[in-house]
Amino acid sequence: MAGLERWLKLVSRNKALLLMVLPGTVWFFFFSYLPMPGAIIAFKDYKFSRDGFLASIIQSEWLGFKNFEFLFKTEDAYIIVRNTLLYNSIFIILGTTLAVTVAIVIHEIANKKMAKIYQTGMFLPHFLSYVIVSYFVFSFLSVDKGVLNQLLQYFGAEPVYWYSETKYWPYILTIVNLWKGVGYGSVVYLAAIVGIDKSYFEAAMIDGASKWQQIRKITIPMIMPIIMIMFILAVGGIFRADFGLFYQVPRDTGALYPVTNVIDTFVYRGLKVTGNIGMSTAAGLYQAVVGLVLVLATNFIIRKINKEQALF
Amino acid sequence: MKRKSMLIVLSFVLSAVLVLAGCGSNKENNETGETPAAGANNQQAEKGEPVNLVWYTIGGAQKDLDKVVEEANKYLLEKINTTIEIKLIDWGDYNQKMQVIAASGEPFDIAFTSSWAFNYVEGARKGYFYELDELLEQHGQGIKEVLNPAFLEGSKIDGRNYAIPTNKELPAQAVWRFNKELLDKYNLNAADATTLESLEPMLKVIKENEPDMYPIQVNIGPFLPYDFALEGIPVGVSLNDSELKMVNVWDTPEAKQTFETMRKYYQAGYLPPDVATKQGNEHELAGKWFVDKQHTVPFADNLWSNSLQYPVVSTPMHEPMVFNWSVTGSMQAISAQSKYPEQAMQFLNLLNTDAYLRNLMNNGIEGVHYNKLSEGVYEPIPDSGYGMAAFTLGNMFLLDKLKEDPADKWEQYKVFNNNSVNAPLLGFQFDPSSVMTEIANVKNAVDEFGPALNTGSVDPAEILPKAVEKLKAQGIEKIIAEAQKQLGEWRAANNK
Amino acid sequence: MKNGAVIEQQRSKPVKQKKIRDIHHLPPIWNALSHVLIGLFSFSCVYPFLFVVVLSFTDEQTLAQNGYSIFPEKWSLEAYSYIFQTGDQLLRSYGVTIFITVVGTLVSIALVSLYAYAISRSYFHFRGFFSFIAFFTMLFGGGLVPSYIVTTQVLHLKDTIWALILPMSMGAFSILIMRTFFKTTVPDAVIESGKIDGASEFRVFFSLVLPVSLPGLATIGLFSALGYWNDWFNALLYIDNARLLPLQSLLMKVETNIQFILQNSTISNSTERSAIARSLPAETTRMAMVVLATAPIVFAYPFFQRYFVQGLTVGSVKE
Repeated sequence: MAGLERWLKLVSRNKALLLMVLPGTVWFFFFSYLPMPGAIIAFKDYKFSRDGFLASIIQSEWLGFKNFEFLFKTEDAYIIVRNTLLYNSIFIILGTTLAVTVAIVIHEIANKKMAKIYQTGMFLPHFLSYVIVSYFVFSFLSVDKGVLNQLLQYFGAEPVYWYSETKYWPYILTIVNLWKGVGYGSVVYLAAIVGIDKSYFEAAMIDGASKWQQIRKITIPMIMPIIMIMFILAVGGIFRADFGLFYQVPRDTGALYPVTNVIDTFVYRGLKVTGNIGMSTAAGLYQAVVGLVLVLATNFIIRKINKEQALF
Repeated sequence: MKRKSMLIVLSFVLSAVLVLAGCGSNKENNETGETPAAGANNQQAEKGEPVNLVWYTIGGAQKDLDKVVEEANKYLLEKINTTIEIKLIDWGDYNQKMQVIAASGEPFDIAFTSSWAFNYVEGARKGYFYELDELLEQHGQGIKEVLNPAFLEGSKIDGRNYAIPTNKELPAQAVWRFNKELLDKYNLNAADATTLESLEPMLKVIKENEPDMYPIQVNIGPFLPYDFALEGIPVGVSLNDSELKMVNVWDTPEAKQTFETMRKYYQAGYLPPDVATKQGNEHELAGKWFVDKQHTVPFADNLWSNSLQYPVVSTPMHEPMVFNWSVTGSMQAISAQSKYPEQAMQFLNLLNTDAYLRNLMNNGIEGVHYNKLSEGVYEPIPDSGYGMAAFTLGNMFLLDKLKEDPADKWEQYKVFNNNSVNAPLLGFQFDPSSVMTEIANVKNAVDEFGPALNTGSVDPAEILPKAVEKLKAQGIEKIIAEAQKQLGEWRAANNK
Repeated sequence: MKNGAVIEQQRSKPVKQKKIRDIHHLPPIWNALSHVLIGLFSFSCVYPFLFVVVLSFTDEQTLAQNGYSIFPEKWSLEAYSYIFQTGDQLLRSYGVTIFITVVGTLVSIALVSLYAYAISRSYFHFRGFFSFIAFFTMLFGGGLVPSYIVTTQVLHLKDTIWALILPMSMGAFSILIMRTFFKTTVPDAVIESGKIDGASEFRVFFSLVLPVSLPGLATIGLFSALGYWNDWFNALLYIDNARLLPLQSLLMKVETNIQFILQNSTISNSTERSAIARSLPAETTRMAMVVLATAPIVFAYPFFQRYFVQGLTVGSVKE
């Protein structure tokens, strides 16, 4: 009873802030939490019954972890996990570094008009779907008509069969990913830099700090919280691969699977024939659980280093 | 804090379950309330209130869909006191959209289903479709009359029908299709082509004379004489095997020979170096190809020539053969959730037997979307805003002909249908549910090696053993064993 | 807040007698190098887009014969005249897309900033809980079918414009970014001082916090606007009525149809396939659609951009 009273008191003391989170909470309830129990399909042999979805779930047979088996059973299981983790790690590290660098440089460029033009330009790839991007990559890498091979031949080199050589693709995919994402990624950091109180820089200039020192001592520390939060969020998605990048850009070429097959493409191909929603839900759950574990671990480490920058 | 948060999140999820359960049970009540009354409802509907049927079907957007449906509804109200509401979903979207709609239990009455979009066998097995045997007896006599019996026979699943097949070409027949301009230019004869190997002299001539063109432009997926248990998985029985033994098709002499021949062609430069990567069909537009593989229907050469705007001819590779997938190429199913299955069947019956309705649904309104030239011959008005793909909706043999069409077009279809032989697995529908894991894994291996082997981009001497090995590692043996077991049971039950 | 005290100290100093305009001057060599590097990268990003524009003005036959070329032999307006001929679908879709982008972005900014502000305040007792509620949704979802059921059968949004707006109007990602922005740019101390003056939490939020958080708001607003502009999946799921189809879904339909034909080349009968193939627009038309679907949002971009490239006068925080 006393607990309840204490709690009510807390609520009333926080009522303004509670009111602020109310609309968002309602949204989360309907669009995120209400569908969540549906994930139970991952453990069921889903068969539709005339009584509707819920009855179907209840009446469907329990399968235990059978729907998860296809993700672990073969040698592909290792390859797809390795590819997903490695690519995403590289994307996170290089992507963050480049985006922050670009943001700082754009911010430092004296000619604001040019800075704006560059920044707009960098943003454009975000608008091209991976299908379109794959056309361009192909126009570069096609064996007989590709720009790259024509260049190679011009310099007397042998043409390369790009779409059957696995060794080039980790680089190609990384470049395409960075090319498409850096402009978009730098926006957050630009906004963070702009948000830094100018008086810091003014004071530093009065103290005679060089530009380098200002960047190292003011800009980067000030945007560190946002870098950290972006990092943690990215780690949460490390087990989910960008389907378009790994499926469309290599044009679903079999010879490249050892370096392009990731969890999402594997699941897509595997379930194309049967369209089993139990198995696709299982794959999503698998990715979520691993993501959660990794986020908690990352958050724990960051919390140890600097409590303020942790997610929770 | 964290543990507490977790706890609260859990309770959040729990309350979500409760709300969902609440909605669900409400719905259940509604439905159980209605099910017993359904019969009465229907009778009432026949007399008074017209029934509205929601019909999902496949096709590109039609600007004047509403107009045509309105026109059709006038007719339907009078005939069977029913109206329809068509939801036309685009080709590429249909499969995904219908899977979600059906799995969610959203109510609809009729839906297009087939072997290649919103899979019929799978949908029936999952319980999405209404079992039609009784309804066909009651309200589908017209359908039974007009339809070649092999359609209903071949589309049975465990002895029952779950959808009405479209009356169209029944068998499938693979052909070599040639660009006739090149054939004529170099004095080649299409009839010389029978097997994949027999193409070689022609390919050679073309390559020598047209050095900057690849005679074979895409992955043509060479013909293998097998009947497959499941689309996309190399498990099947030989077309010539009366014992019906399931084998790993890649591990057969025919496959080996095909891959080796393709390798030879690839190395000779008959295919583009990148052919194993996915390609578009721009070469067709430019006429820069010599031969590919297609499936034919009567007068297909005319059809192709018209749409490509240059002449093509074709030579069959085998006699017309009825496969499970050719029988289920286009069907209309009634939803298990439908409140008006009887009206839906009546409507389908009318659609498949009534020439006026069928032509209206297909070609639109006379004078607006097409002009009638003479009895049974029409001419579409270009860009008029309506014109459905003929094979999707129902009985094609009721359709008016274009003026270019031969007068005996549909008679020829009937001849084509009657002169076909049955593939060994016709009527056997493999149930993959116990080997889902293996299928998902095998499919990945098939996609990894299939296109490269099919196009000769890799040396089969080196890669084929690897591919077969990988298929085994992914569990293809288990699929074969399961398919063989089910096939045995099916044969016992059907005296095959 | 670690920096709170420092900032306060800074604030009390009367530095701002006049604007120092050129605090950003890099040494000339570094400046030139930055221009070259960023300029090159930027160009590599613009180039394909330029290509798309050129291709959309290329003659269809020329393209099929010669492949991609930035200087096509023959130019043509065919693709655009074809698109505009097909009637009012395009205009209608523009309308739908603009509506959902504008309304969606506004709703999204409102929901996200309120939520994020509350959980950014260290004196908010339940902030850990509400942060976790938001964060948890980033990882776990119920899957496609359950979400579909909630949207269509619980909320009854199918075939309404709200089905295109509401499912995307929140997101843990934006909330957590915004929370960090609020934490770093608006220290608790500033809020406290506002409150001492007797302002309510809402007043502080609207009159003190929002004005200094414009870069952050512009960022999540931009992300949200792009999300709405590029969305086609919700339309695929929830919209049957062609009058409510957004622009991107027109474009995606073409792309999925092409994929569909490629993937089913061995499955469906060729008569069926050629029926589908005939309904597809030519490649130049596809490129023209990309141009038409992208150009407006590219031109709208500077509206957001000025908030995070040019910089603001952050002075208002001090009063």
